[in-house]
Amino acid sequence: MEFFIKLKNLDRRWVFLFVAASVVLPMLFKFDFPVFPGKSVTNFHDFVDKLPEGSRCFLSFDYDPASEPELGPSAIAILTHMFRKGLKPMCGGNWPLGGEMAEASLAKAVEIYTATYDELQAAGKLAPSCKKALVKGDDYVNLGYKPGAIIHVKALVTDFMGPYPSDRDGNSTKEMGIFKNPDGRKFAMSDVGMIVSFTAGTGGIESFINVAGDHKRPMAAGCTSVNIPRFITYIQTGQLVGMTGGLPGAAEYEKLINYMGKGREGMAPQSIAHLVIMLFIIIGNIAYIAEQRIAKNKKA
Amino acid sequence: MTTLTLSVWVGAFITLCCFSFLIKDNPFYRFAEHLFVGVSAGYYFSLISFHQVLKPNLLAKIMPSLFATGQAASAPPEYTLLIPGFLGLLMLFRLSANYSWVSRFTVAFVMGVSTGLAIVYSTQQFLIPQVAKAIRPIVVAGDFFQSFSNLVLVVGSISCLFYFFFSTEHRGPIYGNLSRVGIWFLMVSFGAAFGATVMGRISLLIGRFQFLLSDWLGIV
Repeated sequence: MEFFIKLKNLDRRWVFLFVAASVVLPMLFKFDFPVFPGKSVTNFHDFVDKLPEGSRCFLSFDYDPASEPELGPSAIAILTHMFRKGLKPMCGGNWPLGGEMAEASLAKAVEIYTATYDELQAAGKLAPSCKKALVKGDDYVNLGYKPGAIIHVKALVTDFMGPYPSDRDGNSTKEMGIFKNPDGRKFAMSDVGMIVSFTAGTGGIESFINVAGDHKRPMAAGCTSVNIPRFITYIQTGQLVGMTGGLPGAAEYEKLINYMGKGREGMAPQSIAHLVIMLFIIIGNIAYIAEQRIAKNKKA
Repeated sequence: MTTLTLSVWVGAFITLCCFSFLIKDNPFYRFAEHLFVGVSAGYYFSLISFHQVLKPNLLAKIMPSLFATGQAASAPPEYTLLIPGFLGLLMLFRLSANYSWVSRFTVAFVMGVSTGLAIVYSTQQFLIPQVAKAIRPIVVAGDFFQSFSNLVLVVGSISCLFYFFFSTEHRGPIYGNLSRVGIWFLMVSFGAAFGATVMGRISLLIGRFQFLLSDWLGIV
């Protein structure tokens, strides 16, 4: 009992040290924990898989560097999958640094796609229209940040060119092949095959559910772990076709596209750190109960 | 030393400065904190706000020949955008103690539009679908687990709503017990939220260690 009571007063820095060790050691010794894709991630993957080749998908990067370790791996895995299926991602951002996050994810996804192109092409795992060199403006585009959230999304319903006259780098969007419709119509929300939002808080997927949901566009989300309980309700109502939640969601998507990224690499440290935290919670509770008993005995 | 190597070293140094706060507050941590605030503000105003918003969405449309590129440079000017531009300028009156009230016109406009949209869309897209999905058959023939799941959903929804009804005291055999059941459901949801938060924070720590051990030290 005395031992547990002493542990209750353990300097919190020891707890930090144990948690840090539980994260670092599995990385150093390269532990590989199995990953089993869940239903919502599998549904998301399957939906992307079945989209017609050449479909243009709008991906909104609604996070900043503080959430990059959680959402970046999801974004990279989904973009890579889209490139392999011959889809055309159009990236934007409702958060100020969304455009920068999209740029980093696009660069990494293009790198993975190019590096694995020959092998997958030989195995017949790429869509027929896939070509090795992806062209910015034709095969993908980064439109950068725009403020307004729901008001901005509402403007996208009728015309993308209005809110996005140029891409993140200042190139005019009017001349870009990715926005061209065969019948010459303005590119609008109805031309988007799927909407995905990588959401770290407000102004993300809920803005799209608000407006784009009204126009029956299929939607999916990548969200931070903190937001999973909040957004899981949209899976139940069918408003989202799927969702990747936090780093485990990214790991599941990576598993489905057979790519060993930061998500899968992070699963061993994640699981061991959780065990360490659970252990500390149990010890803390035992110490609390022990202290209560001693106080009760003293009173008696 | 290449730019990439330099940025990795700066990133590693700032990360270690932030981690040093775990030992105790110190000048290195405060340096990183102040640097972050300054760099964020500068980056946001100069690179993001001007180049990604003001220039393409306002200046290039009012003065296309000066600021627009490609076909848009020959487009006719859209002078109606002077109105939102003027409303934006009014926001700068926030900096004056005597005239800060002028900015309220812009705030009122934004609030009016946002509230109008939010009320309609929230009802259509959040409230109604959630209520509709909570109306489930309690008994599904031949499927015990679905029946149990539906029962939990219906009881959980009703009891939590009872708990948040504050016009009556939480007492009595029906009202008191139902709101107590509601507390249990809320506790479970708080537990799930706490677990998800822990998972998120650990993921961020993993991200930083991946950067330190892989990009910086190159040992994994």
